[in-house]
Amino acid sequence: MSDLEKILAGCTDSPPNILAALQKVQAALGYVPHEAVPKIAALLRVTDSDVAGVLSFYHDLRTEKPGKHVVKVCLGDSCRAMNCEETLAAFEKKLGCKLGETTKDGRYTLEKVYCLGNCALSPSVMVGEDLHARVTPRSAPNILKEYK
Amino acid sequence: MNVYVPNDACARAVGADRVAEALAKQPGVTVVRTSSRGAFFLEPLVEIDTPSGRAAYTNVDAKQAGGLLKKKPTPLSEIPFLAKQTRFTFANAGVTEPLSLEQYGFKALEKARGLDPQKIVDEVKTANLRGRGGAAFPVGVKWQTTKDTAADRKYVVANADEGDPGTYSDRMILEGDPYRLIEGMAICAHAVGAKQGYVYVRSEYPAGIRKLRAAIGHALEAGLLGPESFELKVAVGAGAYICGEETSLLESLEGKRGLVRPKPPFPAIQGLWQKPTVINNVVSFATIPDIISRGGAWHASIGTATSKGTMPLQLAGAIRQGGLVEVPFGISLEEAIYDFGGGLPKGSKFKAVQVGGPLGSIFPEALLKTKICFDDFIKNGGILGHGGIVVYDQRTDMVALARHLMQFTADESCGKCTPCRVGSTRAKEILDVILKGEGTEADLALLEELGDTMKSTSLCALGGLAPEPVRTAIQYFGKEFRRK
Repeated sequence: MSDLEKILAGCTDSPPNILAALQKVQAALGYVPHEAVPKIAALLRVTDSDVAGVLSFYHDLRTEKPGKHVVKVCLGDSCRAMNCEETLAAFEKKLGCKLGETTKDGRYTLEKVYCLGNCALSPSVMVGEDLHARVTPRSAPNILKEYK
Repeated sequence: MNVYVPNDACARAVGADRVAEALAKQPGVTVVRTSSRGAFFLEPLVEIDTPSGRAAYTNVDAKQAGGLLKKKPTPLSEIPFLAKQTRFTFANAGVTEPLSLEQYGFKALEKARGLDPQKIVDEVKTANLRGRGGAAFPVGVKWQTTKDTAADRKYVVANADEGDPGTYSDRMILEGDPYRLIEGMAICAHAVGAKQGYVYVRSEYPAGIRKLRAAIGHALEAGLLGPESFELKVAVGAGAYICGEETSLLESLEGKRGLVRPKPPFPAIQGLWQKPTVINNVVSFATIPDIISRGGAWHASIGTATSKGTMPLQLAGAIRQGGLVEVPFGISLEEAIYDFGGGLPKGSKFKAVQVGGPLGSIFPEALLKTKICFDDFIKNGGILGHGGIVVYDQRTDMVALARHLMQFTADESCGKCTPCRVGSTRAKEILDVILKGEGTEADLALLEELGDTMKSTSLCALGGLAPEPVRTAIQYFGKEFRRK
């Protein structure tokens, strides 16, 4: 049994839930490789374009391997009111990569997110599943120290 | 002695875990993890029992833990932000242990399961509960429609895809009182004749997802849920704002691209897998247990003529006292921002407020007398939406803000309707030109025309309302859009 078959065991309802299946693949592999699309489609008994369509629709689903830590900077309205652009710029400078990119050492991926529900304590940043509040350009580099 | 420390994601983001750990090492102390009361500007907020009720230590640092309990705490009645609220739906927030079945009780469900289903729907109609997700549609009408539609299978779906930036009331229910949501949904299931349900939660709320899953597990073990009565599952979103729109959410629940569906058919008649489906917001469901316990007439006695009950306002942005404020409909926007929110932080002056999220409006100071209720906002060219209130200070560049909002729409449009998919990108480009100081009156006219086209030709509220914040920003801060 291939890795994908193992991951997708139990996802063979008819009609299949393509999103749930892709979330499972991403949870196991960290991303959904483009080359896996035909295999996933065959296992779910749908077309390649069905799978590719769902894969490209959702911001959470990624087709490239992410860094060890995913740093999500909130650019929601409340965080904008509290100058999140400066916080984002501080991360870009510290990491030496732009929004949507992964650092050369593969340690961090920098992404944007629209709202983490921490709007009373803006600007917010999420690293992995950890929420950080009131992240200023000055405190931004300190947060990264917790994630080696 | 019991010492209560919040376990809410935002409280933890400012150090509640370290505080809990340090306090647990103190002799004679039992740390009890509650959720947050929503006074986030005071977090970590540590509480103890006193003869006159709970009293609090505010903004506690783990380093202070040693001597903390020797100090005099502040009775909650002396914290105006909390004392002036009317807490019903958020009564347990920060008070109880969120996963304690014993503390929650499930009394309303017990009562409801002994009632005739039509009687429940009638109570919800009498309550005049309008959906808290943003559209303010009467909940009882949806329930009646699904109840009256014959089908072999029906569903109850909670919309926990709380995507409006600046809102967090659903998150607080998920983390702080998940049984209230479960109870509201189970009551609905009994009323409309559904045996299966889903909570669709956005992936940005990992702590809420964990709490909800644990709560469903406990409720199942206790026999409150089950295949015979009501089976409830959690589905996790994948970072698409549009999936908060009810038909897009249903597509996503079915595992497809979250493209909106034309209405009719309405989900109450043809929803999930084409079956009759009640889909309500988390706060709407969480209001149901009180309506059943206290009666629909009780709910209808609170609020204004057409906005009944309480509304959780979520204060955010440039505000001194950010947090959740549950109050009866009818207070003014000014009271919310200044009496509860304490105004703007030092060095900040009020410039504008955005209510209703990315589909709401930008209001200037002159509109601060607007009453918090659905109709007053509509009268003044806005929407109350999900109750998010984001305050902007004097440093805010309104053109940059408008551009940001169009970027948001461009990122989040599902793409089904061309005016929304393409129009949002074109509008963003026009705003880029204006931002550079190269705009003309023709650009502003084009922007308005684009907005009108989006409004009149999009299937859902994203395309239909996303031009609103930009339109109102131009209406009230036109000078900035005519920069050179």
